[in-house]
Amino acid sequence: MALTTNTADINGIKDKAAIVGIGETEFSFDSGRSELQLASEAIKAACDDAGISPHQIDGLVRYEMDTNQETMLIQSLGIENLRHWESVSYGGGAGNAVVGHAASAIAAGYCNYVVCFRAANLRSQMRLGQARNPQRITGGQQGFAAPFGSMAPAHQFSMFVRRYMHMYGATSEHFGWVAVTLREHASRNPRALRRDPITLADHQNSRMVVDPLHLLDICQENDGGAAIVMTTPDRARDLQHSDTLTLVEAAAQGSGPQNEGVIYRPDISVAESTNTARDLWARAKLGPSDIDALMFYDHFTPFCLLNLEAYGFVPFGEAKDFVEGGQNIRFDGMLPINTHGGNHSEAYIHGLTHTQEAVRLIRGVSTSQPPKKTIDRVLSCSSVAQLSAAVIIRRG
Amino acid sequence: MTQQDQNIKSRPMTGPLEGIPLPDLDRIPDYERGFWEGSYNRELWIQRCSGCDTFRHLPTPMCPSCHSLKYEWSKVSGKGVVYSFVVVRNPVHPAIREREQVPYNISLIELEEQWGLRICSNVLNIAPEDIYIDMPVRVTFIPTVDEPNVVLPLFVPSD
Repeated sequence: MALTTNTADINGIKDKAAIVGIGETEFSFDSGRSELQLASEAIKAACDDAGISPHQIDGLVRYEMDTNQETMLIQSLGIENLRHWESVSYGGGAGNAVVGHAASAIAAGYCNYVVCFRAANLRSQMRLGQARNPQRITGGQQGFAAPFGSMAPAHQFSMFVRRYMHMYGATSEHFGWVAVTLREHASRNPRALRRDPITLADHQNSRMVVDPLHLLDICQENDGGAAIVMTTPDRARDLQHSDTLTLVEAAAQGSGPQNEGVIYRPDISVAESTNTARDLWARAKLGPSDIDALMFYDHFTPFCLLNLEAYGFVPFGEAKDFVEGGQNIRFDGMLPINTHGGNHSEAYIHGLTHTQEAVRLIRGVSTSQPPKKTIDRVLSCSSVAQLSAAVIIRRG
Repeated sequence: MTQQDQNIKSRPMTGPLEGIPLPDLDRIPDYERGFWEGSYNRELWIQRCSGCDTFRHLPTPMCPSCHSLKYEWSKVSGKGVVYSFVVVRNPVHPAIREREQVPYNISLIELEEQWGLRICSNVLNIAPEDIYIDMPVRVTFIPTVDEPNVVLPLFVPSD
């Protein structure tokens, strides 16, 4: 089937939106407060970082899964004139999609100060890693999966991993190097939930949760909130971080065929984000060699390897060699990854913290700031299956 | 690989998992029903487009290839290979935990009729440590304990 003509060479948002504020709550396993409070605190913190008042917010982009509705936030934050709102579906796929949507709302002139956020008690309330199917399924893909015990994201995603290992010879040790590196980055980050350094042996000795995934391959389940404020570059020059503009250079979302239920795609050893990557590079007129650091959605460590290949940092099948030993992907390496520690060790806020870390790297304030190079351009990309998204953040 | 290093193999699955979510056969859409009717009759029925003869799973109301709304339920051989599999060792459902049903395998079976035609199932009568990708399997049918009308297509090693 021929692909229809795409519009991937049009980049209508290029440099038209600046990230001016990032903020978050503390991350914990039991926040002890409502999701509305987490959202309100995170958004207020992001506004403080920008140097604006929450009264000035006139755009909201939320995750469809988030329980905080627009009206609740209007009420809590004292938003006076909400001109634009959107919600973006697909959980981990939305991590960067909300950022792209917010940038496009600014570029289109729909609003002046847009906030994207995610705030949830994903440990003390609804745990995404547990079975959430109804006992009697009335239709859809889960009826063909849950009766066989496939009930959690780790079950579907480790299907990819097993196939990937079979196709390319990657081993659990390769995933372990990703875990060791992410934890090392988190050990330097006071926000992070898991700060004790681990060794490859610790990874290998951690209990098998869903073979081939060990416990130390799997991200945190935690409570917390995070928010990002964006406005036009002109307004950004009058705000708190006017010395370092962080611009959204390009964004893309993508998917491939047969992705309902995740595991029926034509080749599950290849990340579906290859589609997102193709459009992102075409739109940005850039390639992997232009990127100084990579923030990838690390719900499970093997997807570091799949994303490195999907976005073309290495040829298919060679990511295992690239991550081995961890030197290439450490904060002081050739391609720093998840310098905050990621979903794996900092906190799981559905990927929004990855774009926040991209901003920190460009501002030069990451707790694992690469020592040998200036970070001018960061790729932040989401989950690899079903629907995915990515953004490129650059120094203005 | 410490668990494997002990050289103690896990017990094989011998039938369906118990106490976990099942389809409500009275409420599922028409275009899903044939899959379960086939299993009830101890046959593996896969949805097949009447317009272009393409098999499809997951079942859908429209053919994603030719967009015909007409389909039939076609009996297939029930032979295939393991395309990928995982071994669940940490229970995420109360019935799995309480009835001590871990470990169990979830296996993605590619059926011989068509490239890429896969169904999710379990492979019985084999220790999970012995399952491998491309292992030949054949279908067998076992009613669930919780809903005897719901019969699952499960697989066993074919040699």
